[in-house]
Amino acid sequence: MVDQLATTAENTWCPGCGNFGILNAMKKAISMLEQHGIPRDHVIISSGIGCHGKIFDYVNLSGLYSIHGRSMATVQGIKLANPELKLIDFTGDGDAFGEGISHIIFAAKRNADITVITHDNGTYALTTGQFSPTSSKGFKGPSTPRGNVEEPLNPLTLLMEVGATFVARGYAGKIDHLADLIVKAVEHEGFSFIDVLQPSVVFNDTYKEYNDRVEILEKQPRSYDEAVQLAKRREGKLPIGVFYQVSKPVFHHELYGEWNPVKNRLHRKERLEKIKRFIEGES
Amino acid sequence: MKKDLFTVIIGGKAGQGTNKAGSVAAHLFSDMNRDVFQMNDYPSLIRGGHNFSVVSTSVGPLRSHYLEANLIVALDKKSYETHKNHLVKNGVLVVNSDEVKETEIGVPITTEAKKHQNPMLISGLASIAILAVAVGVSKEGLVEIITKEYKRNLEDNVAFSTTIYEIAEKTIDHKFVLKRGNEKKKSLTGNDAIALGAIAGGLDLYFAYPMTPSTSLLHFYANNGQEFGVTAVQPENEIAVANMAIGATFAGARVMVATSGGGFGLMQEAFSLAGMVEAPVLFYLGQRPGPSTGVPTYTEQGELRYALNPGHGEFPRIVASPGSVEEAFSLTSELLWLVWRFQTPGILLTEKHLAETTMSVTLDPEKTKWAEPLLHSSGEFKRYRDTPDGISPLLFPPSSSIIKWSSYEHDEQGFTTEKPEEIAQMHEKRRRKLYSLIQYLQTIRTVNVFGTGEPFIFTFGSTTMSVLEALEYGGISGTVIQPVYLEPFPVWELEKYRGKRGIVVEMNSTGQLATILHDKVGIEMKALIQKYDGRPFTPTELATKIKEVT
Repeated sequence: MVDQLATTAENTWCPGCGNFGILNAMKKAISMLEQHGIPRDHVIISSGIGCHGKIFDYVNLSGLYSIHGRSMATVQGIKLANPELKLIDFTGDGDAFGEGISHIIFAAKRNADITVITHDNGTYALTTGQFSPTSSKGFKGPSTPRGNVEEPLNPLTLLMEVGATFVARGYAGKIDHLADLIVKAVEHEGFSFIDVLQPSVVFNDTYKEYNDRVEILEKQPRSYDEAVQLAKRREGKLPIGVFYQVSKPVFHHELYGEWNPVKNRLHRKERLEKIKRFIEGES
Repeated sequence: MKKDLFTVIIGGKAGQGTNKAGSVAAHLFSDMNRDVFQMNDYPSLIRGGHNFSVVSTSVGPLRSHYLEANLIVALDKKSYETHKNHLVKNGVLVVNSDEVKETEIGVPITTEAKKHQNPMLISGLASIAILAVAVGVSKEGLVEIITKEYKRNLEDNVAFSTTIYEIAEKTIDHKFVLKRGNEKKKSLTGNDAIALGAIAGGLDLYFAYPMTPSTSLLHFYANNGQEFGVTAVQPENEIAVANMAIGATFAGARVMVATSGGGFGLMQEAFSLAGMVEAPVLFYLGQRPGPSTGVPTYTEQGELRYALNPGHGEFPRIVASPGSVEEAFSLTSELLWLVWRFQTPGILLTEKHLAETTMSVTLDPEKTKWAEPLLHSSGEFKRYRDTPDGISPLLFPPSSSIIKWSSYEHDEQGFTTEKPEEIAQMHEKRRRKLYSLIQYLQTIRTVNVFGTGEPFIFTFGSTTMSVLEALEYGGISGTVIQPVYLEPFPVWELEKYRGKRGIVVEMNSTGQLATILHDKVGIEMKALIQKYDGRPFTPTELATKIKEVT
């Protein structure tokens, strides 16, 4: 099963990159979703621009390789056109929280039924390691030789605040756990977000730190407030798992109910008749 | 001079409903089987200021408003000051006597309005009552109009308007006799026609962030879309608008997005993406005076060059601009068809003057185009299959074939490539689409030509209406040449004018159409008539200017 998801594209990630873990988890999740009754041809992918984005070429699924920061808008458009499709959007931390932060905030706010997976490596790796929106203060890169002077933003608390209905954190080094999170996120009806801790072996090698600190959540926090408190934790153990999940009406359904724009579209004759009637009624 | 022409100007403060009163006046004339042309002039504010609606009407075609008014209703002092010089000989100027004392015909509009709830809003109805008296509509006829058009607080509205009618009856009863026309036409705004044209062409989803003069399209689809199976979506900004639209085309939806100059600036990145992934997105660009915020609620044609050159990189694009409300209807469907046929972005370029103007039209929905893509039928599917005409047949998800659209340069399958031969191959494929597009355009009408002989007057967009009306008004003969398609520029149609000296009329300060005609076709200009004060030409001023240069 897993092999059918491979493509002939040459993989150009650095050996040992955290992206491999996300790719493997994704392939595993697709097989699991198929077992759960979600056919592969209904899963549509997108990605932004950066090292993470190459995953688009490495997974044999249909989709649209978008531009930096905009893939979150791209997938919302696909979903609105055909709500039967399941959308998985891979983004970098620069896509989701730099260039495209407005799109992720609004996708969460309107509870768009899409899944956003952020390959959060805390650096702009493909452009040789500048600081990113999630880089820690003091992070040294070619644009911050004396250290990043900005505080990092917290993807989890931010998205919970703006209304995301599924918020999780995964780790590229825990593939089975991540695959399970992806399955849950895709099956969640509404906006689902997974912040994936992803070491960049060349520019921000966090393997040791994460291997020491990452801890699988045994139980999902009981409330929104508890989830926020847990997500705010900076010291000690770094919990991974589902922080928060709630059921709310989804955007496309609020917008047009059971309608499906591409499947239910009115045909030419019907439209022309209606237009004639409309013009008659106008004046 | 134009026969049977009658013009009314209704001026007041924002909030007095002058635009609404103008459209009610337009309906009143339509019911007399007369053609109408309504232009609203309003500043970018919600209350106060000075708004006016000018409605001209004639028996037979009318392509512009006139500012020389037979009847002026000044609801406030500022309207009186602004318009008193627009009155023609034997015209009637009715003022609100609570604000203006120095004229003969006054009606105490404010005093009467204060006897009702919401006096500000109701005062605008006085203009309808005064117009009704002046053109000889009976009191019962007025009540009928008010009942149809001003349903909220109907009792107050009827009481107020009949009181005004009775006061005005003493001075201006049957002051004007308007001839009835022979044919009852519908009246629509440019944006209404565009909205309906897109629906006829197959529109499924409409994405927009509000911006004048595109905003009424968003309202149209929000209010009427459901009836036609069209959904209106208002995302967080124009960047999301354009990118969502591209995503929607991936799933097979026919889409349109609309904005004005500033919003279109934000869409540039996505415009280029549409060129690369070959997404059939129709962009509506409604011009208003720029640069930057400019003068938001007025008109200009300063973005012709901007519309021809958006997006980084090289890829084909289709740009066309309608010269009338009727043309806007059919052209919108044609553009939607073209962007799907050639899988590349297109722009419907228009202006506030067309978008928000109401005029009499005869629309034939059967003459619209239906956007239908070339679909993949058999064999291995490759999203970017390299074909002789450059057009790769489409498939939509869900599909057992893998469908990959990519913003990166890609191979035929849609996988990223940096191989020199594949980069060149895809450039050539997209280039061949341009040649196929030009070949197709050579088989359809891309340039409108009106009249014969010299002078040769070149214009585009809504200014075409102003030019045609000016020629009729001024009794000037000549040939009016309006390139409807602006990219690819229809050189093949315009070459015959090479060597002839032309006059160009356009609403901008740099003569953008004139330079394109010179650079692309080699047409030398004898004269350039421009206007760039936000206000459309009136037939009288334009006729004078054309006479000066011929």
